[in-house]
Amino acid sequence: MTPVVECVAATRRFESPGTVPVMAVSGVNLSISPGEFVSIQGPSGSGKTTLLGLLAGIDLADAGAVNILGFDLADLTAAERAGLRRSRIGIVFQSFGLVASLNVIENVALPLTLAGVAADQRRSPAASALEMVGLDDRANGRIDELSGGERQRVAVARALVAEPSLLLADEPAGSLDDDNASVVLDLLADASRRGGAALVLVTHDPHSAARADRRLQMRDGRLTNGH
Amino acid sequence: MFLLRHAWELVCREPRRSAAAALGVAIGAGLLVSVVLFGTASGATVTRRALAGLPVDAQAVLAPGADPSSATRLLSSDPAVISTLPFDLVHFHDAATVKAGAATQTSDGVVVGIDDSYVATTDLFKLSQGRRAVGEIEVSRDLATNLGVTPGDSVTFNLPGGKSANLRISGIVDTTGADLLLGPIDAAHRAAGANPPTNVAVTDRATLNRLASLVPAEAASAGVGAPSGTPVVAVPERAVRHEIHVRYDHAQLPGNPADAQKWLDGVRRRLELKAAGTFTVADDASASLEPIAGDLAWGQILFIFLALPGVVLALTLSRFAADAAAEATRQHAALLRARGALQRQVMSVFVAAALITALMGAAIGALVGVAIAYVGFGTELRAAGSASAAVPQILVVIVGTAALATLAAAIPIRQQLSGEVAGERQQLQRGRRPFWQRFYLDLLGVAAGVVVFLLAGGVGVQPVLNAEGNPTVTLALTAFVAPLLLWTGGTLLLLRLVGYATKQSAWLVGVLRVPFRAGGELAGHSIVARAGAASRAIVLLGLAVSFAVSVLIFDATYRQQQHVDAELTLGADLRATPTSKVNASVVSMANGPGVGAVTPFVDRVVYVGSEAQDLLAIDPATLPATAPLADSFFQGNSAQAAMRALASQPNSVLVSAETATDYSLVVGDRINIRVPDAHGTLRQVEFRMAGVALEFPTAPKDAFLVANLSYVVQQTNDDAISYLLVRQTTDQAGAELQRRLGDGWSVNDLSTTNARLANGVTSVDLRMLVAIDAGFAILTASLGVALFLLAGLSERRRELATLRAIGADGGQMRAAVAAEASVVGVVGVVIGAACGCLVGLALLSILAGIFDPPPNLPVIPAASIGMLAATVAIALAVAVVVAARAIDRIAILAALRER
Repeated sequence: MTPVVECVAATRRFESPGTVPVMAVSGVNLSISPGEFVSIQGPSGSGKTTLLGLLAGIDLADAGAVNILGFDLADLTAAERAGLRRSRIGIVFQSFGLVASLNVIENVALPLTLAGVAADQRRSPAASALEMVGLDDRANGRIDELSGGERQRVAVARALVAEPSLLLADEPAGSLDDDNASVVLDLLADASRRGGAALVLVTHDPHSAARADRRLQMRDGRLTNGH
Repeated sequence: MFLLRHAWELVCREPRRSAAAALGVAIGAGLLVSVVLFGTASGATVTRRALAGLPVDAQAVLAPGADPSSATRLLSSDPAVISTLPFDLVHFHDAATVKAGAATQTSDGVVVGIDDSYVATTDLFKLSQGRRAVGEIEVSRDLATNLGVTPGDSVTFNLPGGKSANLRISGIVDTTGADLLLGPIDAAHRAAGANPPTNVAVTDRATLNRLASLVPAEAASAGVGAPSGTPVVAVPERAVRHEIHVRYDHAQLPGNPADAQKWLDGVRRRLELKAAGTFTVADDASASLEPIAGDLAWGQILFIFLALPGVVLALTLSRFAADAAAEATRQHAALLRARGALQRQVMSVFVAAALITALMGAAIGALVGVAIAYVGFGTELRAAGSASAAVPQILVVIVGTAALATLAAAIPIRQQLSGEVAGERQQLQRGRRPFWQRFYLDLLGVAAGVVVFLLAGGVGVQPVLNAEGNPTVTLALTAFVAPLLLWTGGTLLLLRLVGYATKQSAWLVGVLRVPFRAGGELAGHSIVARAGAASRAIVLLGLAVSFAVSVLIFDATYRQQQHVDAELTLGADLRATPTSKVNASVVSMANGPGVGAVTPFVDRVVYVGSEAQDLLAIDPATLPATAPLADSFFQGNSAQAAMRALASQPNSVLVSAETATDYSLVVGDRINIRVPDAHGTLRQVEFRMAGVALEFPTAPKDAFLVANLSYVVQQTNDDAISYLLVRQTTDQAGAELQRRLGDGWSVNDLSTTNARLANGVTSVDLRMLVAIDAGFAILTASLGVALFLLAGLSERRRELATLRAIGADGGQMRAAVAAEASVVGVVGVVIGAACGCLVGLALLSILAGIFDPPPNLPVIPAASIGMLAATVAIALAVAVVVAARAIDRIAILAALRER
């Protein structure tokens, strides 16, 4: 089976004039299969989010290779990487990342909007995604009327609406209380299991990480306990 | 010190924020300074033009018994004097004639004695009819009318002291422009606005001196014509005056009319001091500048008023800049509070920083304004005594704009800082409308403006004749109240309407989806969410465009009317005047390259009863294609119908409104007019009135007649024409026409014609002012939209990063920015163009008094407005590129982690 994620010695270094270069991601090797739930745990500044950025194609590795769904991201243009994100990758952020000018269902449908799906064809999958996260009754509500937990559930629905093959979650429960955190993680895990999408959870919380099929540690840009 | 140190730190720490805030102030100050300097420069222009048309700068009036030769030598030796001309004048008590057994007598008047060189040098006392002959006289048209005399008749002048002299009339002279010379020369009479005599005769100096010898040395004139109702202010003048008329070197004159008057006064005092009582100097140049100085003061107010909307708009950019930097303000305020600063101290630091920024911006703007002024009208400015004369005004502009900008910036800063402390309270207040919306101050402002406009009659500027008979303008300050109320109320009303429209999301998203696809949808939602900021940007752009459009319409109409007025004065694009007698057959000679149409034209002095009038004999078949004819020139008739009426009957005549009123004439009446034949003998010719003309090419303002040339030629056996009027099709037509016609002709074009409205403030070429106003409006509009877009980026940094993260590509982000800019741009330009037309019409109505003839319709300069819209579009495109690049530079992961 073709892995969803295949990183080979992926490296990302940040440097600015007058400062010591920082190896945010250093020689990471990682392979994730479809439907697999992988957590990456580590302290702040260990390079977790940078690695997630590399997996999403938001950033590119300086050295090594990052293959997502069989595509070497270094070979794709920025527009092609953006296309890959909106059609095959779902992302959930700690800060929800919702667009305040759109209502709930419009936020959920955003990946479809960006993919050029006609307005009348977006409503149904967006409503289904909302139903999946239990917010179908808030479809036309405003974002600023939702609680933190509800906002993150909307973000999860948006990540799922295009039925992605890869789900990337960056501290999705970081801003939530325990109950809401649990609900959100359950939603992500269930969606991964049901849809066969690979789920990568980046977190510093051991309890959240413990729910994964495979737990990885990250420290000083290096991935440990990996395969 | 705490305050200033932290304020300065704030200015330096946030260079982009400071630069953005300073920009609006710089634009406002730059606009105002360049307009102030334009006013200063226009002083030089009006001074130069006022004196250019003056035949004589000063009259040195010799004391009894003074030696004219030594006085002339003394005057010529002064460095300010470039030429001198002798001029003598004798008052008479009355003039009388006997014709066909009937005696006619007039009131008092003057006989002038001049050399031939005087006419050649000053262009005064030109012959309208007859010839100049030694020992005879030429009489003014008024004297000829009053006595009913023509060349060949004799007039007896009864002189002070009881003696009289009988002289034969050899011609009729035009006394236009000689009022100051013929009137009283003492300051008391001039200040009282004494009228010059209307009964004037001109002769050679030898004949004049013969008349003067008949007048006792100490005899006084019968009195000068003081206006009725004014008290007698001085004793009568001496009956005989010997004068030397002086021309000064105008290159030495300061540009500002008030300074020029001081210079002239200095020269007068110096000459009188040297003269030691042998002569006194009457300063005609200074008298001519008197109304100009007043006009200029009003003109400068008008220029600033025209520019004021631009300044207000520029200052609102400071508000936009503050909005764009809201996040930075909040972060810095939090830092200051963490260091222990109280809320009051934090506010003071930010206001002090705003003041420092505003002062820097105003100073930079003032420098830019000075630079623009020197590039645009440096020559006039240097003639006006350089910009240093305007330093106090420039300082006032710097301080004033800085103070206003600080106030404009302080309000949003206060909101942002209080939002930091009491975010919840702000949330609660967010739904509350501003007080002007709740109390409908916008509608009240517009309604009050309309009422004031209607009550004031919509006219603020009126042309009047001042005491010296010079045309000047009066400007009613109340005229500015209506536009001020309309502008303020209209701005707020626009904010209300645009704010309401931008909140209607469905249609906006639907419209933007078509050209911009997903980016358009995002932009539509974004504009709805930021309706307040979007409507402010749209209204700012709309007002900036309307400001530019209104001044463009005003300028285009003003220039068209200047052209029409010059054409009316000259008669057509070109006028070719023969130096010897020719008939209408020369039309074929005039036709050629560059000539669109030619028509022969005759202007003869004729007599309606005893009144001398101009008879304009024309060819109605060819004149309409050659000369400017508007429907407004004819009473109750179109131009075409009037010409048809003239052509339908050979003896048809169009009479001026004054003639029709004076003689109670109606269409169809027979009029007997005495017309001179080839020998100058008056022949009675019968005409039939065909209509009333209010204006006509080359016609004087008052009484005139228009008849068929063929009929006049047939009735008088005189086929001589006065000149040819020519419509040119190329700019070189004048030179080519002169070459074709040869030396026996003089060809004049519009550039050599002074339009009759070219006086005082109205003589100023507004093109540079319009260019400055329009340029600053475009700059304000472009920066306003750019700041709106950048403020949007600042506010939505995390949102934009999210969009990129979930799959929006660069093209979609650029499309979203372009869609937002398009909405603001298109709506702003459309609103601006519509409002600009309305404001332009209001301006034309308020300033209608300076147009003569009044325009049939305002001129809409489509090309200029199109260029304005294109420039705004280019500026918007640049703003979109800048904003899109800023989005590309957002570090997505870092922005997503921001709280």
